[in-house]
Amino acid sequence: MRMAVAQYYPRPSPIHRLDPRCKVVAVTAIVVGLFLRSSFAALAVYGVAAAAGLLVSGVPLGWIARGLRPVLWLLVLTFVVQLLFAPGSAFATLGPLHLSTHGLAVAGYLSLRLIVLIVVSLLLTLTTPPIALTDALAWLGRPLRRLRVPTEELALMVTIALRFIPTLLQEIDTIMKAQRARGASFNRGGPLRRARALVPVLVPLFILSFRRADELALAMEARCYQPGAPRTRLHPLRAHARDALLLVLVAGVVVLAEVL
Amino acid sequence: MSEPATPAGTPTGPREAGLSVACEGLSFWYDEGATRVQALRGVELAFAPGTSVALLGPTGSGKSTLLQLLRGLLRPDRGRVLLDGLAAGQEGYDERERRIGLVFQMPEMQLFAATCRDDVAFGPRQLGWSPAAVDEAVEGALAAVGLPADRFAARHPYSLSGGEQRRLALAGVLAMRPGTLFLDEPFVSLDPASRRDLEAILRELRGGGLGLVLATHDVDRAYALCESRVVLDAGVVVDAGPWRFGAGGEDLLLAHRLRPPFVVELWRRLGRRAAEAPPELAAAAEALAP
Repeated sequence: MRMAVAQYYPRPSPIHRLDPRCKVVAVTAIVVGLFLRSSFAALAVYGVAAAAGLLVSGVPLGWIARGLRPVLWLLVLTFVVQLLFAPGSAFATLGPLHLSTHGLAVAGYLSLRLIVLIVVSLLLTLTTPPIALTDALAWLGRPLRRLRVPTEELALMVTIALRFIPTLLQEIDTIMKAQRARGASFNRGGPLRRARALVPVLVPLFILSFRRADELALAMEARCYQPGAPRTRLHPLRAHARDALLLVLVAGVVVLAEVL
Repeated sequence: MSEPATPAGTPTGPREAGLSVACEGLSFWYDEGATRVQALRGVELAFAPGTSVALLGPTGSGKSTLLQLLRGLLRPDRGRVLLDGLAAGQEGYDERERRIGLVFQMPEMQLFAATCRDDVAFGPRQLGWSPAAVDEAVEGALAAVGLPADRFAARHPYSLSGGEQRRLALAGVLAMRPGTLFLDEPFVSLDPASRRDLEAILRELRGGGLGLVLATHDVDRAYALCESRVVLDAGVVVDAGPWRFGAGGEDLLLAHRLRPPFVVELWRRLGRRAAEAPPELAAAAEALAP
């Protein structure tokens, strides 16, 4: 079963080794920067930075392309809409549709910006294990605890959910195969029939999931889990010189884009 | 995926004829994120109709994958499956594929209906059998697994004990009148009494002419139930054929994270010829009686 849920692509690259908190900050800075300054020059700076990041990360281009596939229609839509409806003097007219150089520039700019945006975000999720990402977000969200937001608990919930997504997918796959061996088919008939065909999959899946949730809760209690209690970590987040370097580099990129 | 054939009418007889299952050069890879892991490497096997074969191998050796490939739940990346000599796509292949009953590991996890009757009837109904044929198949299957319809048909599957649930899941497969039965680790996580019950049921089914392929770590039960064995390790068939002991057969099992059956080990330690160890404890006791 192929699904881009756990997109993490393990590689021994310098980008993978960076502190996830710094990566989140860096990506946020770039995304904000992308929207602050609308010029092709700024876009080029961010584009080069993203390409450099890609190169260093060692994630194959094909893998990035797979990540872009789900947003392909959005890209196409953005391009077409901007091309057709942006104001400006037309250089070609097809009935009610006007194509202008300005429209072409806007469409190209917006599509490219979207691509850079997605590649930069992918770079974060492809080089950071989901659990490290959750830890980073929990750390960065710590000021919210003052406002009584249960950040640690939220982070734990997300971690557990992420941890069990592959397990659930595996279970769905097994149950579907077992029911197919008993003559079930999941791709015949109209929507109603297809929905009904899922009952033999969903009932066992829910029963298994509730049972597992019960057992997990008991196991956590047996190991003295207390909601809200301060947690220590097996792998404490630690920033190194290379993380400082990343932040300096990204700050440089943003400043350069602003100045150009 | 194969569409279940719609039989012309009521299936006749207690059980349909057995079928031969074979494969040639079967290779299969699993996608694991960025990498592909080869689960089977050029597997060549042939199971004659009505025979009982143990599929032995350590965890991760490819036993489950092989069973699912033979039943058409996975598509081979290389090689092909032959049912009665027919390849996939040939006339009659889908119908034969349907006659392979596959009992998954922990099959009680696939129970979903509100009553035992409805759960067992699921397969036959999917095949489009007439209500009378479905009823007959359900009652026959429930009786075959020792859950008589008059006492169990109306009960909720999850009100049954673990061993009963396992047998109910087996009934769900038997109701489709398979010619050969594949079982993936059928004895795992059952208590000793439930294992004995299940072994007796399988012995009965085998006696009725049903072919068995038993993927298991339980060599004692495999030896008691099966005429021959296949040793699979790391996706490769290491050896296939009748059980042989005394001439390196024990070492072969030990070398692949298995062990020789208890009776064989007993015979060896008593200084008897291991090759002559009887498959069952009762026969062994008789042979040893003073």
